[in-house]
Amino acid sequence: MEAHDIYKKIQRIVGDGDLAWVEEERREPYLMVPREKLRPLAIALKRDQDFDFDTLMSLSGVHQTGDSERMEVVYHLFSIRKRHRFTFKVELDRPPLLPHFYLRLDTVSEIWPAAGWMEREIYDMFGIHFVGHQDFRRLLLPPDWEGHPLLKDYREPEAYRGISTTREQASP
Amino acid sequence: MPLATEEMILNMGPHHPSTHGVLRFILRTDGEVIYRCRPDVGFLHRGLEKIAEMVTYPQFMPYTDRIDYLAAMNCNLGYAITVERLGGIEVPPRAEYVRVMVAELNRIISHLISVGTFALDIGAVTPFTHALREREWVNDLFEELCGARLTYHYFRFGGVAFDLPDGFLDRVTRFLDYFEPRLAQFNRLISTNKIFKERLVGVGVISAEEALGYALVGPNLRASGIDWDLRRDEPYAVYADLEFEVPVGSPEFGEVGDCYNRFWVRIREMEQSARIVRQCIARMPEGSHWNRSKKKLKLPPGEMYVRTEAPRGELGYYLISRGEDRPYRLKIRTGSFSAMSIVEKLASGIMVADLVALIASLDVIAPEIDR
Repeated sequence: MEAHDIYKKIQRIVGDGDLAWVEEERREPYLMVPREKLRPLAIALKRDQDFDFDTLMSLSGVHQTGDSERMEVVYHLFSIRKRHRFTFKVELDRPPLLPHFYLRLDTVSEIWPAAGWMEREIYDMFGIHFVGHQDFRRLLLPPDWEGHPLLKDYREPEAYRGISTTREQASP
Repeated sequence: MPLATEEMILNMGPHHPSTHGVLRFILRTDGEVIYRCRPDVGFLHRGLEKIAEMVTYPQFMPYTDRIDYLAAMNCNLGYAITVERLGGIEVPPRAEYVRVMVAELNRIISHLISVGTFALDIGAVTPFTHALREREWVNDLFEELCGARLTYHYFRFGGVAFDLPDGFLDRVTRFLDYFEPRLAQFNRLISTNKIFKERLVGVGVISAEEALGYALVGPNLRASGIDWDLRRDEPYAVYADLEFEVPVGSPEFGEVGDCYNRFWVRIREMEQSARIVRQCIARMPEGSHWNRSKKKLKLPPGEMYVRTEAPRGELGYYLISRGEDRPYRLKIRTGSFSAMSIVEKLASGIMVADLVALIASLDVIAPEIDR
């Protein structure tokens, strides 16, 4: 199926509501999904025989800065059986006060098991919490690391457990 | 009187020699049987995705060497294609063939390490030295080509850094003439060895459904019986013009999706890679090797997810550009990451010794997981 046909069918399944179909130059067309619709959409994409999206190719977090502060989680899906791909994004507000309070999203790890580690990595790097994840903790960084490095406003701590993070200070 | 038994926590790594880089597993065992395995990764996390946002597009190319240092050419290739597609940069035909040739040579030596260390992990030391001896030859060829033996930094946007030296193609042919019989010898030595097979057949079986769910890619996916190869099914560079077969796991060689099938798929992929390299040599066009631009590279705003078939499977770059001279965001999706995420599930209920075989068969490499 072509991406646009997939979108048309999604509209019929989860309702037209707040979905936004984006086609721009030099971009794969993608669907913008409100966070409440994530789970019904993911289940439909996995289970519906026409979609049959068996693989979560890639799951990425993006910190968009500029006019408004927001986080995006980008789902790249692929169906090896049907040989088609589809991209959708979920956008989360990140207000300057209480930034982490709003960064919550339902997990899709029991729909695509591959998401288990991918979501942990996104939490590690962006601080987005995935609700319902069975084993939710940091993945690559130590559990007591402060901050989430891929945020655009991340400041690296000067030291970790008394070990300097810069080279200058390390030499006596 | 029955012997008292109790669970034991066994710490495997982070320096265990069979774990292919710095990995750590925390095992809860009951005797020799694992009932919970928690992989602890991140020891080689260097923040490559953060670095990508700080350096310009060409400056990031050497970092891609370090994503998977056993297959630096393939990592270069994926990144180069991503930037070229977004920036509309043309690549001359000679460069395309050189790229595919070095990428396939790199696949051969990466698989050599994979199958060599695999045998080593199982306890067969000699095949590893044979594999390294063959690999050394290609390292010499690459050194002649670009001066480096491991992290090549050979690709440039719009081509490759250096043209082939005089007589290089003859030397590659000589290597292939040497290598193909050696591979048959390697098979006699280890691949068809009864002890080796008994250790692997039926161990660590991954069903097709699990493989898809955990987004396994490359040889690991194909060993589970799924006929999917990006080189053939979503061709990039000049793969569409080349003839090769895609080896897939089959019950002929044990159980579909077991450790032995993963091993055997890699062996047969090396044969196919050699075949591709020969075709590249035969068709190598004359002309420029680098469509070089003097201008500072800035990509137009846009985003793209580009994937290529690296030795450890799909290597995806998700690049977001905001029209600057550096990526706004670059996400790197690697094969070892998903391969490692399935270990926890597969490891419960198997023996400690089989975990070593399982990890070796998945061909995970730590820098690719941790980036």
